[in-house]
Amino acid sequence: MTRFEPGTASALVAWGTLVGVDLVSFPQALLSRPLVAGTGAGLLLGDPVAGMRIGLTLELFALDVLPVGASRYPDYGPAVIAAVVLASGRPWEVTLGVTTLFALCLAFIGGWSLLVLRRVTGRLIQQNLAGLAAGDTATIAHIQYRGLAADVLRSFLLTAGGLLLAVLLRPALPGTERFTLVTAVAVGCAVAAAAAGAIRSAGGGARLRWLAVGAGLGLLMAALR
Amino acid sequence: MKDGFLRALARLFMVQGSWNYERMTGVGMGYAAEPLLEDLKSVDPARHAEASVRSAEYFNSHPYLAGLALGALARAEYDQVPAPQVARLRAALTSPLGALGDQFFWVGLMPATMALAIICVVGGAGVEAIVALVVAYNLARIATGVWALRTGLDSGTRVGHAIAESWLPREAPRAGLAAALCVGIALPIAMRWLLPTERAVDLWVATASVLVALLVSWKAGPKGSSLRFSIWAILLAVVFVWGFR
Repeated sequence: MTRFEPGTASALVAWGTLVGVDLVSFPQALLSRPLVAGTGAGLLLGDPVAGMRIGLTLELFALDVLPVGASRYPDYGPAVIAAVVLASGRPWEVTLGVTTLFALCLAFIGGWSLLVLRRVTGRLIQQNLAGLAAGDTATIAHIQYRGLAADVLRSFLLTAGGLLLAVLLRPALPGTERFTLVTAVAVGCAVAAAAAGAIRSAGGGARLRWLAVGAGLGLLMAALR
Repeated sequence: MKDGFLRALARLFMVQGSWNYERMTGVGMGYAAEPLLEDLKSVDPARHAEASVRSAEYFNSHPYLAGLALGALARAEYDQVPAPQVARLRAALTSPLGALGDQFFWVGLMPATMALAIICVVGGAGVEAIVALVVAYNLARIATGVWALRTGLDSGTRVGHAIAESWLPREAPRAGLAAALCVGIALPIAMRWLLPTERAVDLWVATASVLVALLVSWKAGPKGSSLRFSIWAILLAVVFVWGFR
């Protein structure tokens, strides 16, 4: 049974904000990984299995991402939390595909919001060049705190917006069996994203061989289940 | 400088708090350097002011290994190393720390941890397994952070040699191998677990999606975005299913 009361909503917004900040600013402790963020949201909603299943699907997409500083990458954390709200308590077989689509769109917007945040911080530095040139430690701390505060605001808005959208879209979520096909497509895309990322990271040589050995073992385990 | 160790270590957890395209993690490094440079203020105020300016200049590396550079640069300031040499050290550490950190954490330990979490979830282990893996990862990360800052402070300008002699260049490729194995195992069982029904059509649709997406990814090269392709593919599937209502 899914609970979505004011207390739960506040906890979800707080969790989403923490998860969003964790991606880059603080503390980068894996909280922003979709599987972790989704499971947390599922626990808050009283449906941890839905959280894990949606989180795991998005985790496969996230495995394709190398979060290197200057590169542009999606922000999956708040997106997964909104997706769990959208689909919790519903039959996952028919909703997972549409929920994944919803989360991917939000993650894309989240990635764009990171670019905006970085430009805003850049402008803040331009405004404080004199203090930086003088080695003023108060100016350095001011920029650092403002940067962190801006990321908190970004993550809060992203989570709150995502949750609002999820609550509005929940009644329109399809429930017919035909949508298992959409789920199958989403699962295929997720696995392909993770596989493409793994192959790209492996490059060649030993890592590619270990990946192939792992895939062989995984196929065997999947066949025996 | 010893009193500032813990404060600098804590501040390193938010070294990317003001990340931007101009100085990247430079300001975060300046913020983390402040507790380490505090003692210099009473000993040599002029040097302290110059060191504070330098500490917040352009810098970029892997955030978990930034302590190596932070410690080494702070040590260099106390050792009265000439300013141009400090600047060269700062510039020289950027690429190796980024590459080693990416190799060990982003391409190694992190995907290995998350793939293990996937394997545990599919195996029915539940929330406890995820929490345990996240805690284990963070213990490794904190231990690395403490080691990095300590090594940097002890080595100063000889930090390059200290890194080369350390466990990091040895273990980074091994972490990558572990990640490759774990991700390889995780993908097929995750796909099996996520398939909506036992019907063959779902398996065929999912497998076809994997192959098409991989082909598109391969054709598109490094510029290809799995995110964009997936949005379009799932949207197409929704329209298709809706059309047959």
